[in-house]
Amino acid sequence: MLDAVIVGAGPAGLAAAIACREWGLQVVVVDEFMKPGGRLLGQLHQEPDGRWWNGIQETAALLDRAVELGADIRCGVSVYHVEKAESGFRIYTSEETLLTANLLLATGAAETPLPLPGWTLPGVMSIGAAQVMTNVHRVRAGHKGIIAGINVLSAAIARELQLAGTELHGLVLPALHPLTAAAGHPRKVMESLLRIAHLAPSFWIRAGSRFARAGWVRSLALRFYPRSGVKLWGLPVHLRKALVRINGVDQVESVTLSDTTVDGQPVPGSEQTVDVDFVCIAGGLYPLAELAAVMGCPFKYVEELGGHVPLHNEQMETPLAGMYVAGNITGIESAKVARAQGTVAGLSIAARALGGSEQIKLQRQLAEALHHVNETREQATIQFHPNIAAGRMKMAEAYQEHVIRQ
Amino acid sequence: MDKLIVCRCEEVDLDTLVEHARQYDCSARELKLRTRAGMGYCGGRTCRTSIDALLCHLTGSAAGDELPLKVQPPVRPVSLSTLGGRLES
Amino acid sequence: MSNMRIVDHPILGKLEERPAVSFTFDGRPCEGVAGDTIASALLAGGIRMLRVQEVTGTPRGLYCNIGHCCECRVTVDGKPGVRACLAEIQPGMIVESGKPLPQRKELAPHA
Repeated sequence: MLDAVIVGAGPAGLAAAIACREWGLQVVVVDEFMKPGGRLLGQLHQEPDGRWWNGIQETAALLDRAVELGADIRCGVSVYHVEKAESGFRIYTSEETLLTANLLLATGAAETPLPLPGWTLPGVMSIGAAQVMTNVHRVRAGHKGIIAGINVLSAAIARELQLAGTELHGLVLPALHPLTAAAGHPRKVMESLLRIAHLAPSFWIRAGSRFARAGWVRSLALRFYPRSGVKLWGLPVHLRKALVRINGVDQVESVTLSDTTVDGQPVPGSEQTVDVDFVCIAGGLYPLAELAAVMGCPFKYVEELGGHVPLHNEQMETPLAGMYVAGNITGIESAKVARAQGTVAGLSIAARALGGSEQIKLQRQLAEALHHVNETREQATIQFHPNIAAGRMKMAEAYQEHVIRQ
Repeated sequence: MDKLIVCRCEEVDLDTLVEHARQYDCSARELKLRTRAGMGYCGGRTCRTSIDALLCHLTGSAAGDELPLKVQPPVRPVSLSTLGGRLES
Repeated sequence: MSNMRIVDHPILGKLEERPAVSFTFDGRPCEGVAGDTIASALLAGGIRMLRVQEVTGTPRGLYCNIGHCCECRVTVDGKPGVRACLAEIQPGMIVESGKPLPQRKELAPHA
C-alpha cells in the first residue's frame, strides 16, 4: 500500500509530492496529460516588477525538485474511479489500480462554457485550449481569432496570443441569454473589471502606456463604454459588442457581432460580420471535483471560489479521513497559491502517515506552510475574484459546521 | 436567437430545455432524463454547469450546495478491456 | 502550413529542434514533431475537423484541449475513443476521424 496517491501533477500536486518525499513517504503522482504542470505549464505574464512569470520554467523547477527527491510521476494516466478500501483508497487508472492510505485530489479547474449559436464548429475552443496550444505546443490557434468573454483570464491569454504573433480581432462579450446572464451583461462585466483593476493596478498599467490605473477606470466609466472599444495592449476590448453567431460549414469562417445597449440588448441593424478562423470562449474557471463527488465528499457552493467546492479545512483535509484537496479544486486562485496549498497538503499527509516522534517538527513546518499560503494570497498581483478571502472564510465555517454536526 | 446547443454531445438546445423545464417543473435530473442533456459521451461534464445555471435562472433560486447532476464513475473514458481486466481481479 | 508553428517567441525563445513524426489521418499523410499531441499536430497542419456528431453529422473538433469534453475523440490504430488532445503522436500512427452512426430511417422522438 502506498502512503499517498496524488491526482494531478500541476503546481499543487507537485508541491505536495515534494513535501511528501521530503518526509520519506511512498508517493505516486498521476496526470492525464503527457507532461506535468497542469494549467501552470501554459502561463506567461509579467509581474509588477517587470519579471516574466514563465509557467514552463516554474514547472521545471518543481519537477526537478520532485524528481531529485525520487517522486514517482506517471503522466498520460487517467483516473476514472476511486473508492474506499481496507484502510485507504483504491484508485482505478487507465494503467493499473493503486492502493493507498492517503489520497490528494489536485485536479485543478475546468472552464465554464458559454454556449453560443455555432459554437460546436471546429475552431471554437475554450480560452484555456488556446493557451495550451500556443504556449505548450507552440502551435497557433489559428490565423485570426476573436475572444468572447472579458475577464482577467481572457485578457491575460489575449496578451499571450498576441506575444506569439497570433492575430486577434479583439475581446467582445457573448450574446446575452439565460446562460450568459453575467458574462453577457456590459454593466456587470465592467463592475467586475473595475473591482479587479483596483486590486491589481500593475496588471492594467502594463496594458498600455495610456492607461494608468486611474486612467483605465476613468476611460471605462466616464467614456461610458465607447463604441470603438477600450484598448488593452492595442487590442480592442468591446464592452458593448456581443458575439451573436459563429458561422461556417465545416469549421469557423466568420462571426456575427452586434452592438448592444448598456444592458446587453442587441441594437437592431448593427450586425457586422468579421472573418476569423478561431473563436475563444472565456467563461471563467470552476473547481474540477468529479473524484471528490464520486467519493461522496460533501460540497458547498461558494461563488467567490468559483462554484461547487469540496468541503475542506486550512490543512487541506476533507471530511473523509485520508482524503485531501489542494490547488484550484479548492477554489480558483493563482498558481503560486496552488503551490503553497500543495505544500500544506503534503505536510498534512505526512503528519497523518508518520509516527509521533516527527510531529513537533512536522507541525512547525505545517504552521509555516499555512502562513505562506496566506502571505502568497495577500501578495497576489492578479485575482480572479476580489473577495477570495471571504470565500475562504465561508468554506472554513462550512467545514467546522459539518464536523460539529457529525 | 438561432438554435443554441447546450448539451453538445446530444445536441440538446436551449429552447428544448426551457420548454421541458417549464412544462414539467423539472429538477436537473428530470431534465436530463427527458431531454438526454447530460447523458451523452462526456457524461454531462461539459453541460452540467449550464443546466444548473438554467434551472436557477428559471426558478429564480440560488445554487444549492449539492451538485445538481450526480457524478457517476467512470469519470474518464475507459476501454472495455481495462474494465474487463478489473472485473476479473 | 509551417507558419502555424510558433518557431520564435519573444519570451519563450526559439523552438528547439524536434524530430519530425509521420502519421496518417483518414489515410492522408501528416507530419508533426515529437511531443505533439494528435490535436496539436493536426492543428499545425491546418486540420480542425476531428469527427462528426454521431447522429446529426455536424462537424466537431477540439474544444477544451484538456481531455474533459471528449469532443476531440478519434480512432487510433483501430482503438476508438482516444482523446486527440492527450494522445502523443507516434511514428506510423493510423488516426481516423469519428464517423456518423449508420442512419436509421426513423429516430424515436424525445419525450
